[in-house]
Amino acid sequence: MDWWFWPLCLFVFTLIIGVIAPISGVGGGVLFVPLTTAFFPFHPDFIRGAGLIMALTSALSSTPHFAKKGLANIRIMAPIVIVSIVTSILGGVLGLWITSAFPEGKYYITIMLGLVLFVIFAVMLTSKRVEFPEVKTVDSISEKLDLRGEWYEPTLDKVVEYRVTNMKIALPAFAGVGFIAGMFGLGAGWANVPVLNLIMGAPIKVATSTSMMIITVNDAAAAWVYLSKGAVLPIIVIPSVIGITIGARIGAKLAVKARPKIVRYVVLAVMLLAAVLDIYKGLAGLGYVPKLF
Amino acid sequence: MSKEVRVDPMNTAFARTMEILTYIGLALMIVPGIAYIVSGTGYVKVEDAISNWDKSASEFWKSVMGIEIKGYSWFLNNLSNFDCLSIVGIVVLAIAPLASIITSTVKADSKYKIILLIAITEFIIAIVRPLFMHVTGH
Repeated sequence: MDWWFWPLCLFVFTLIIGVIAPISGVGGGVLFVPLTTAFFPFHPDFIRGAGLIMALTSALSSTPHFAKKGLANIRIMAPIVIVSIVTSILGGVLGLWITSAFPEGKYYITIMLGLVLFVIFAVMLTSKRVEFPEVKTVDSISEKLDLRGEWYEPTLDKVVEYRVTNMKIALPAFAGVGFIAGMFGLGAGWANVPVLNLIMGAPIKVATSTSMMIITVNDAAAAWVYLSKGAVLPIIVIPSVIGITIGARIGAKLAVKARPKIVRYVVLAVMLLAAVLDIYKGLAGLGYVPKLF
Repeated sequence: MSKEVRVDPMNTAFARTMEILTYIGLALMIVPGIAYIVSGTGYVKVEDAISNWDKSASEFWKSVMGIEIKGYSWFLNNLSNFDCLSIVGIVVLAIAPLASIITSTVKADSKYKIILLIAITEFIIAIVRPLFMHVTGH
């Protein structure tokens, strides 16, 4: 097989992920790692490294725009990342240690990834979105840190003010999410957004934008773990980043015109299939079931 | 009705720094990255990378270059190669949030100065930790 076959496949594959991600509302980073693990010959170390850089690049590209508008809020992000920087680094270190210390490590990681995907699937299927949650009381931490902000909402033609709460409940949740993001190289919007929106009471636009801001810090911190272990290969990262960037631009334009629900269900079904395949691939590697291909 | 939005100065400082470094990082990552893939030559030959990318990161480097990776010298000492130059672009992207937090600290009140300084310290530890601590395998 010619050398350019797999990079080209990866480019086309990530281009498709980039197009369908905004239409389906499922993050590109969370699709890339499990699907690439299931269908491509790369070791999970390099897939997770590439997934992390992809999620970082996407978040870095959108965060400045949202921060200038007041949608991504550094006041909310700062106390959260103090906890999640630590756990995302721990996740990255543990993930690479497992594949390095155990001969069968990559199969353990693949199985764990499949199991995490089931959790993500359940969260995505059941979590609701509240456009403007009502925050009646504010906890002491949020009060002291003055966790509030405002932005101009064009659909209402007015400046919307908001405040958030429940920092004590949210911090452990973000710690867990940071760990998973670092360990598997996944984007973490699937968990950040429900915590910010449903637990902390941030309006949905603030939740999605601030989630991006959190991802920039968490993924950048974890990226150093992968860089220091040589788990970032340009031959995998470059086609992936270019593919998903071009795809996301096409997808964002298509999403403005139509976001048919069927696309979201198809993508979730593909994600579920990837979860099953990842678990099967891991079990086959350990010799518990016969290999598929 | 007023449409004046009071955006926190910390936010604005954060955004400006991140925007500039993201452009620089993306250009530095993608241009040499494409040159590397098209030319097929670099610190790690494209052919070697392809024939070994099913191995774990530690096994990959032992097989391809006969080295054990500890820290960042593997790309910093080989910047004349396109693949390592591309990694420098990734380094700029990975440092962008730290630089953005540092600039926003200047605009922060005392409470947030402390919080952001803790985040900065953690981030710096994340960067230098691999130079002091090395997780070994079997």
